[in-house]
Amino acid sequence: MSDARVVRLLVFRVGQLVCAAEADRVREILPRLAPTRIPGAPPVVAGLMNVRGTLVTVVEGWRALRQPPPPAEAGEGAGGSGTTVLLEVDGGKKVLGFTVDEVVDLLSVGGEALERRQALPGIDPTLVRAVGRRAGQLFVVLDTDALLTPILSS
Amino acid sequence: MDLSQYAELFLAESREHLSACNQLLLEWERAPASPVPVGGLFRAVHTVKGMAATMGYARVTDVAHRTENLLDLLRRGSQPATDDLLQLLFRARDSLEQAVELSVVGREDEIDAAEILADLDGAAAALAGPGGRPAPAPGPAPAVEAPAVAGRLVQVTLRSEAPLKGGRALLVLKKAQALGPVRNVTPSETAFESDDFDGRFSFRIETTAQAADVERVVRAAGDVEHLTVGGEERRAPSPGAAPGAAQAPDAKSRHIRVDLRRLDGLMDLIGELVTARGRLNELAAQRRDPAVDDVAIQISRLSTELQAEIIQARMTPVWQVFDRFPRLVRDLARELGKQVAFRVEGKEIELDRAILDELGDPLLHLLRNAVDHGIEAPAERRSRGKKPEGEIVLAAVRERASVVISVSDDGRGIARAKILERAKRDGVVDPHAEALSDDQLLRVLARPGFSTAESVTSVSGRGVGIDVAMTRIRALGGSIDIRSQEGKGTTFVLRLPVTLAIVRALIAGVGAERYALPLTYVSETVEFGVQATTTVEGREAIVLRDRVVPLVHLRRLLGVTGDAPSRCPIIVLEMGDRRSGIVVDGMLGQQEIVVKGFDAPQGTLPVFSGATIMGDGIPALILDAGGLL
Repeated sequence: MSDARVVRLLVFRVGQLVCAAEADRVREILPRLAPTRIPGAPPVVAGLMNVRGTLVTVVEGWRALRQPPPPAEAGEGAGGSGTTVLLEVDGGKKVLGFTVDEVVDLLSVGGEALERRQALPGIDPTLVRAVGRRAGQLFVVLDTDALLTPILSS
Repeated sequence: MDLSQYAELFLAESREHLSACNQLLLEWERAPASPVPVGGLFRAVHTVKGMAATMGYARVTDVAHRTENLLDLLRRGSQPATDDLLQLLFRARDSLEQAVELSVVGREDEIDAAEILADLDGAAAALAGPGGRPAPAPGPAPAVEAPAVAGRLVQVTLRSEAPLKGGRALLVLKKAQALGPVRNVTPSETAFESDDFDGRFSFRIETTAQAADVERVVRAAGDVEHLTVGGEERRAPSPGAAPGAAQAPDAKSRHIRVDLRRLDGLMDLIGELVTARGRLNELAAQRRDPAVDDVAIQISRLSTELQAEIIQARMTPVWQVFDRFPRLVRDLARELGKQVAFRVEGKEIELDRAILDELGDPLLHLLRNAVDHGIEAPAERRSRGKKPEGEIVLAAVRERASVVISVSDDGRGIARAKILERAKRDGVVDPHAEALSDDQLLRVLARPGFSTAESVTSVSGRGVGIDVAMTRIRALGGSIDIRSQEGKGTTFVLRLPVTLAIVRALIAGVGAERYALPLTYVSETVEFGVQATTTVEGREAIVLRDRVVPLVHLRRLLGVTGDAPSRCPIIVLEMGDRRSGIVVDGMLGQQEIVVKGFDAPQGTLPVFSGATIMGDGIPALILDAGGLL
C-alpha cells in the first residue's frame, strides 16, 4: 500500500474483531442465507449458496478468523442474522462468500492511515495486510487471498 | 423435379438474404452517399429473384424483379438514398419477405403486393427521368446484336448437388458483369429457370481482366464445380487454399444446413441410446463374457462421445438471433422520434440452440425498454449536454463456462429516488432505507405489474417485461443483473450457461438434506428392511436376482446426523458390471436438473459431479454414480 494511494475499504465486524477488505475485491453484499452443506468440507466452509443462479461456496467468517462462535451459533446450526460478503479471490477468477456479523462502514483511506503494523493480538499475522484505525478503533485489513485460497482445493 | 424438398432451403436462404437487406438498408440510411450498400442490396434481391424463379414462385419473382429494377437505377445513377426511397425500399423488403413466407407455405394467392409494386414502378419511372422508361431488368443479358464472337468464352458447370442452380447461374452472370459486358449466354437465362437446367452454361465476357480474376469472380458466386476461361481450364483450388477469397466456395461447402428438429430428434435418440446402453451393460454383466463386456464398454464410450458431438452441433452463433435487432431498434426509434446508434458486438459467440431460441423475447423486451425509456428525445439529450443521438450496445462475451450478454444504453438511467419511494410503500425495502442497491432496484423492477399500477413518469413501463425476461433467463439456468446510473444510462447483464447440460435425476432425501442422483446409472429401486441383507467381504449387501449388491448408506457416507427410518429405499446403481445399492431416507421424486459446477473446498467428498438449484432456489449437490460405485 503506497502512501499516495487512496484505498477504499469495506469494514465489517466478525465477533469482536473489526476487519476490512479492499472494496475492489467485494463483488456484492447479501443477507445471510442458510447454505447447503458440502459433505466432507472442513467446518470453516458453511456450504453452497444460490446467488441468482450461480453457486457460491460460503466461508464461515468467525471460523476462518478463529473467533468465538456467535451466541446464536451455540444453540442452533447455521442461519440466523448476519451478512454474506461476496469476495473475489484468485485475481477475480473465483468468488467466495464470507459471512460476517455486520458491515460497519465503507472507508476511503490514504496509505498513511494504515499503520504498518502487521499484526494485532488474536489474529494470525499471515492473514493481515495492514492495520488501520477508524473512530479510535483499530481494525485489520485482511489479506483475503491468503485467507480464502487455501480453503479451495487446487 | 420435385421442388417441395427445396422449399425449406429456399426459405432459409431467402431469409438470410433478406436479413442482409435489412443490414444493408440500415447501413445505407446511416451513410446515404455510400455506393456500397446499393450494390449489396441489388445482389441480394437478385439472388432471391433467381431462387424464387427456380421455385416457380411468380409473385416473389415479381416483387423481387421490380425492387431490383429500382435498385439497378439507383446503383447506375449513383444516387444517394433519400429518406423516401429508403422507406420505400424497407417496405419493399418487408413485402418480399412476406411473399417468400406465404409462397413457401402454399398461400401465394394471399400475397397483396399491388400497392408496393405500383410504388416501386412509380419511383423507378421518376428516377429514369421524363420520357424515360424503367431500365430493362438487368437479368436478361443484352444478347441482342452480339458481334459474333467478341470477348472471352467462359464455360461453367455448377456442382451437381447444388440446389437452385438457376439462381446460382444468374449470380455467376451478375458477378461476371462486374468485370465487363456479358453476352451470348447459352442456354438463355430463361432456360436457367427451367426444371431441366443441369447447371452447365457458357457466356462471353469482354474484359481486360486476367483469366485468374475472371475465375475468382465467378467462383465467388459459389457452387461452381468446373470452369474454363477462354478455352483454358481453371482447376478448382484445393480445399482451404483459396487465398484471400473470404467467401470461397470451399469454406462454404464445409457447412451444411440442418433443421433444428433433426438435432432435437438426434438428442432424443441419444437419450434412448443411453438407455439401451444401460440395458446392454446389464446383459453383458449377466453373460460375464469378456468379449461382450468389451463391446459394451466400447458402446458406452461411443455413445458418450456422440452425445458430446451433438451438443457441439447444437452450438449456434448469437448473430442468428441478434441480426433481427438492428431493424427493430431502428423502426422503434423512428416511431418514437429518437435517434439511436445501435451496435452489436460479439456476434460470433456460440450458445446452445435451445438457449439461444429462448433469448429473443427477453432481449427484445430489454432493447425496447432501452429505446423507449432509456434513450432521451434528441432535444432533451442536447439540453443535458449529450449527443442528440443515443447509443445502445448489445454485446456477447464468452466467460469460461458461461456467455454474458449485455444491453446498455447511454440514456437517462433509472430514477432511483422515485423507485425507492415506491419500493418503501410496497414494502419491498426497509422503510428507513436511504438508497437502493442495483440488486434491490432489479428486484423492485422485476415485480410483476410494478409499473402498470401507477405511472412513475420517467420510468413508466420499465418493469414491463423485466419480470418476464428474468423468469425466462432463470429458467435457462442464467441470471440477470442491472447497473444503472442516473443521467448516464442503464445496462442489463444476462449470464447464461453455454450449454444446457440437463439431466434427469432422482431426488433423494437424507435427513433434512436433498441430493440429486442422475438417472443414467440408476437401474432400479428396492426397499431396505424388506430385503434380506447379508455380509460379503466385510460389506453389507443385498442379493438381487442372484447378484450381490453391496450397500452404501448415504447417511453414514455423507455424515448426516440422526437416525435412519427403519424402512427406506435403496437406489440400485449400475455401471458396467459394477453395482451398488444406495440407501437413502426417502425418494422425493424425479426431475430434470441443470448441472452446474461449484468451487469445491478442500476435503469435499469425491462423490459429487456438481450441484443444481432446486425449484425452491436452494442448491442441492449431484451425486456422481462413478464416485459411489
